[in-house]
Amino acid sequence: MNLHNILLILKKPKIFVYTIIWLMILVVIGTLAQKDLGLFAVQEKYFSSWFFNFGFFPLPGGRLTILIIAINLSFFFFNKNLFKLNKIGILIIHIGAMLLILGAALTAFFSSEGNMVIKEGNKSNYVEDYHYMELSVINTSNPDYDLYTIFDHQLFNRNQKLTHSNIDFDITVIQYIKNCEPMQRSHSNNIQYKGMLKNIMLNEIPPLKEEHLNRPGIIFTISNANIEIDGIYGLFLDQAIPQTLKLNGIDYNLVFRKKRTYLPFEIELIDFKKIMHPGTNIAKSFSSEVNLIESDINRKILIKMNEPLRYKNYTFYQSSFIEEESGETSVFAVVENYGRLFPYISSIIMCFGLLLHLIIKLPFFKTKL
Amino acid sequence: MKHITLKFYILIALITLVNAADFNYNQFPIQDNGRIKPLDTYARNQLLSIHGRRSLKPQAFTEELTNQSKEAVDWFFDIALNPQKVDFYNVFNISNPEVVGSLGLKWTPKHLYSRSEVLNGIQHHLEYFAQIQPVEEEDLTPYDKEMLRVYKNLVLIQELTFSLSCFLPLIPINDINIAKLVDKREGDFLSYYTIMKNSNVFEPLFKNLLKKGKDNWDKTDIELGRIITSLNEINKDNFSKILKIIPPENPDINNHWSSPWEMMDIRTIGPNQSQFLDNLSNYIINRINGKSDSTKIYLSHHYNSLETYNNLFSTNLLKLETWYNDIQLFIKSIFFYILSFLFLSISWIYKPTIIKKMAFYLLSIGCLFHFLGIVTRIVIMQRPPVTTLYESVIFVSFISIISSIFLEIKRKDGIGIFIATICGIILHLVGFGYANDGDTLGMLVAVLNSNFWLSTHVITITTGYGACLFAGLLGHVYLIQLIRNPLNKKYLKSINNNMYSASLYALFFALFGTILGGIWADQSWGRFWGWDPKENGALLIVLWLIMLLHMRVTGLVKPTGFALGLILNNIVVIMAWFGVNLLSIGLHSYGFASGIAFNITIFVILELSIGLGLYRWANLRNL
Repeated sequence: MNLHNILLILKKPKIFVYTIIWLMILVVIGTLAQKDLGLFAVQEKYFSSWFFNFGFFPLPGGRLTILIIAINLSFFFFNKNLFKLNKIGILIIHIGAMLLILGAALTAFFSSEGNMVIKEGNKSNYVEDYHYMELSVINTSNPDYDLYTIFDHQLFNRNQKLTHSNIDFDITVIQYIKNCEPMQRSHSNNIQYKGMLKNIMLNEIPPLKEEHLNRPGIIFTISNANIEIDGIYGLFLDQAIPQTLKLNGIDYNLVFRKKRTYLPFEIELIDFKKIMHPGTNIAKSFSSEVNLIESDINRKILIKMNEPLRYKNYTFYQSSFIEEESGETSVFAVVENYGRLFPYISSIIMCFGLLLHLIIKLPFFKTKL
Repeated sequence: MKHITLKFYILIALITLVNAADFNYNQFPIQDNGRIKPLDTYARNQLLSIHGRRSLKPQAFTEELTNQSKEAVDWFFDIALNPQKVDFYNVFNISNPEVVGSLGLKWTPKHLYSRSEVLNGIQHHLEYFAQIQPVEEEDLTPYDKEMLRVYKNLVLIQELTFSLSCFLPLIPINDINIAKLVDKREGDFLSYYTIMKNSNVFEPLFKNLLKKGKDNWDKTDIELGRIITSLNEINKDNFSKILKIIPPENPDINNHWSSPWEMMDIRTIGPNQSQFLDNLSNYIINRINGKSDSTKIYLSHHYNSLETYNNLFSTNLLKLETWYNDIQLFIKSIFFYILSFLFLSISWIYKPTIIKKMAFYLLSIGCLFHFLGIVTRIVIMQRPPVTTLYESVIFVSFISIISSIFLEIKRKDGIGIFIATICGIILHLVGFGYANDGDTLGMLVAVLNSNFWLSTHVITITTGYGACLFAGLLGHVYLIQLIRNPLNKKYLKSINNNMYSASLYALFFALFGTILGGIWADQSWGRFWGWDPKENGALLIVLWLIMLLHMRVTGLVKPTGFALGLILNNIVVIMAWFGVNLLSIGLHSYGFASGIAFNITIFVILELSIGLGLYRWANLRNL
């Protein structure tokens, strides 16, 4: 079957009905599966995927299903019968739907989101990803600056070699662990273990439903340095003592951390406020007073629940907070999304179209017995 | 516009009506759960928590009481002003036989027990309670949960019983010298509060007494010693801090109100608060002495002192709320719906036109009460009508009924009345089931605390639910009419057209509501869509309706199939509306907590068999 034949099939209006039935099945499965898998895993498996495996059968995932609907929908616009006055409502609704799908595609492929965590009085200029990790090798020898070499999460495959001209040794990934538990090693007889791994082993434990509670870890070898350094190393998220190396007179720090995206400006948290409904434990509102600092210009801004800060395609939302004795920490969700206006526009168009169609048809009011 | 003015008039009428009445003792403002509410509502909620009902029927009384039903607030005053009376009421409602057994209670069909019975039982299990207190809610068995509930209610009733004991005249003054000091006669009784208030008189006396050796005490001294003992005895009640009836010294919205027992260190209290304490004390003394004229005076004093607090709450709203509690508008509306349904049924066999007309008027009266109830809740809470599951049930039924009334106005053949009354009666009954956990007019967490989004997204999506149910019932009617008379094509076609319009109307609100929800999510935490179960539920309704409309246009379904689709859409709606809440409860919900799951299953089976049955039958008739 060639592409032409496939397109001929996808043109048929009935295909839409079947696809939407499949989409409903996907939504139901994806909702029920959240109970066991957690939200993020379900999204990856069913909704943000092209295919997913059901036993041995590959079945179309959310993206493919939406793509089929989009193709089917675009053929709809070539329908000659469509461009009549009494069908204008229908046409408008479908234009709106097409825009909605376009916006969804933009969001799916080009948006990024993460957390910015700032303690009162501190500043930050980077966003931490919710899900993905990175391995960063930091050259700290120069007193004026640190040289960062970052390896992304896509590279964390078994036997993947990580090299760069910035660093004088090779890294080979042994294992990336989604959720690990550091445990005391009773007796180490493997001479190859270096750094933290000499005393501690990273036990793999099943990933939790609440993805943010996982503690990812990585085990890798370092080679082509010298006999002292070559060996097996391990790192995990939020490790208290970083792994340091000294090779050819250069100091390196190795850190395994949430993937960071740096912003062209800085945010300083001045004050975090929480107001409760009097006499209860129910929060009435959260707000953070921040300074937005860009090229030495300060701007004071108040970020509240339901009232985010929008700046240069980034939006900062008051998402959470941490209360400690040493002070309050505010957590912002930071989203960069080019498609965020599409739902607004498309919903207005679709609802307008539906209303128009209702008014044109209006058998409700025409009918008399 | 007309709509808004109408609302406005009803409001004015309501407020003038309610304002005419004097400030009453059931309108004492109380701060509870983040809101200032009348004592009436407060007492009802406490009674609801313990007793499972909002007022007391004679079946909960022991022989010591006369056989008359009692409002919650009267029960509260009865036990708070006469703490020994608390055991005259069998208020504890324990329906779990295991719990009844382990508390050593007798299993009776009423399963109502008094405080002392429960207290006795609980005392044998103190170790068990210490063990289960720290356990996470989801790890508790239904038995544990019920035991904890009983335990908490016991604490609650203890706190309520002794919440006003500092005002009770319990300390007799049997010595003329002491009585003179506080302007009383020998044999008068003083309250803890009065003595504390006169601490400048008593404190030097008490100090003297301690200096004097016990052997040198004269008659007055012995009497003083007895007073100290009584004070200590009454002071044991100061654990009761639940009744936040004394407003803060400064009328600031975020200030905490206080309970009388928190105010007993009289010297630290400002003039406003001591005014309130004095009025309350005098009110209580006079109430105990049965002087109704004096109680009225102190009530109006209290009311006047509240005037400086009108930035915190409106006394008119307190009055409105007690009125709302009393009148039970939704009971009235369901009464009229049932009546309307009966008239409609009569009209099928006798004098169709006139009786049908009467049914329509009854329906409209019911709908008016329904509307009034929703508006009153909006006014009291100062927020949009739908914030809890209970309110959503009330609102959804209102939407379906309004839609059906429009249909009836157009068609005039009783179909609208039929749909409206069926929907109104069933959903009201469902609503009463939820009233016990959702009608307490509680506060909202921060992210929901946005009137703009509550009034746009939530209203649209619940309107969508209402429209869907209306369309679904129309589907039933279509199939039934087809079975009754498959040859009346014109008539069937008109219903078919109504079905089509209704589905478009439902799609409009479901789609718009879903997208608005996405926009709210985008505004609040930066993602338009998160595949959350509730979002998916709303999406399913939209997809189902879109599927139906496309099946219809591509000829995949005939009108009978379309009607079936709308009927099945009811199942989708119920799943999205209630079923989603089950997911978060988790696998551990079974036994008593799974009532909702059971009800949903029953509904799904019923609707499936009715839908498929009607469809099959209709197709056989339609050959």
